[in-house]
Amino acid sequence: MTGKDIVKIVLNLVIIYLIGGAILAVVHAKTSPVRYQNNIIAEQKALKLLVPDAETTEMIGEWEIHGKHGKYWKALKDGKPIAYVILSFGKGYSSYIKTLVAVDTNFTVTKIEILDHKETPGLGDEILVPAWKDQFKGKDLDHIKLVKGETKEYIQAITGVTISSRAVTEDAVKNGVKFLKETIEKGGVAHVGH
Amino acid sequence: MSATNEKVSYVELITNGLLKENPIFRLALSLCPAIAVTNNLKNGVFMGLAVVVVQVMVNLTISAMRSFISPRIRLPIFMLVISGWVTVVNLVMDAAVPDVYKDVGLYIQLIVAFASILARAEMFASKNPVVPSAFDGIGQGIGFFFALVVISAFREVIGKGSIWGMDIFGTKPLLILILPAGGFFAVGILMAAFNWFYEKFGAKSGAH
Repeated sequence: MTGKDIVKIVLNLVIIYLIGGAILAVVHAKTSPVRYQNNIIAEQKALKLLVPDAETTEMIGEWEIHGKHGKYWKALKDGKPIAYVILSFGKGYSSYIKTLVAVDTNFTVTKIEILDHKETPGLGDEILVPAWKDQFKGKDLDHIKLVKGETKEYIQAITGVTISSRAVTEDAVKNGVKFLKETIEKGGVAHVGH
Repeated sequence: MSATNEKVSYVELITNGLLKENPIFRLALSLCPAIAVTNNLKNGVFMGLAVVVVQVMVNLTISAMRSFISPRIRLPIFMLVISGWVTVVNLVMDAAVPDVYKDVGLYIQLIVAFASILARAEMFASKNPVVPSAFDGIGQGIGFFFALVVISAFREVIGKGSIWGMDIFGTKPLLILILPAGGFFAVGILMAAFNWFYEKFGAKSGAH
């Protein structure tokens, strides 16, 4: 390979990679506002699904987990809070699993929803299966624990998907509920019942 | 060469991808995704459509640039073109059809590693003009789409007893078919059937 060849090859690669990068930048810039809007719509839809009885849902604060930006809401009916919802993240096998957790006023989980994740295709996405997510219903902080094998009391791990199911259970949901409980009991008590 | 002859060859390019050089059933390329994404029909269909788009765009791009690409570094350039187009499809799908994207988004990114797309770029698009390359892309894409649809329909009906998510039997006749191991059986059986039909009927019409 002569010096001239090397220069030619380098130029060749640099030019093509620059063009590729530029095209991707344009597509990303064009689609990202739409994708951002879609995410907000999906979040609103999920909130409705999580607390179907609520008349209004209002955001009461923000928090941080794994350096990610989480939020929490209270769901009101007849002016009284009936549930709290928190947006939490769990550190999974290959991504942060974006999870919404709804709890009642006793901080018992009523429902969870996975909004976004990038776990192994065909394997990690087992965490989206409703039968698995339904296990969280009625679990309080002490029972949000991942167990291998049959269990009714705790959360049963999915075979072959232990890391992702642990991330949802003991990271996203547990930390989210813990945070909600501590925060609301400290500051938000005034709103709960009289 | 007259115009009619060229037209025939375009049709041939398409049927070539569908039958004679079907990427999955005949060339046995990209079997890994063919097994990974085909446990239900919906995944198979959207994956197939995405592959058609990516294959055509990649063939077009590489064919248009073929005199500019230095042969020594063609592979990194092919990979860049492929991953670039896959990212474009990925972002556009996320923005345009978020509901579908939620289901198949993870799989779309896998197209980057599809051997069949790289193989067509190397075997065809880098040696042929733009228009035939586009038709070759369409043919290969449709061939891939066809194979994925057949495999995923077969696996969903027999494995899960449903089609497009709707129950038809109310039972799961042979659950193993939707599991990874069953994927090998399904692809093997369908590949044998495809080749049997092809040898029997394809040979007669002279398409051999």
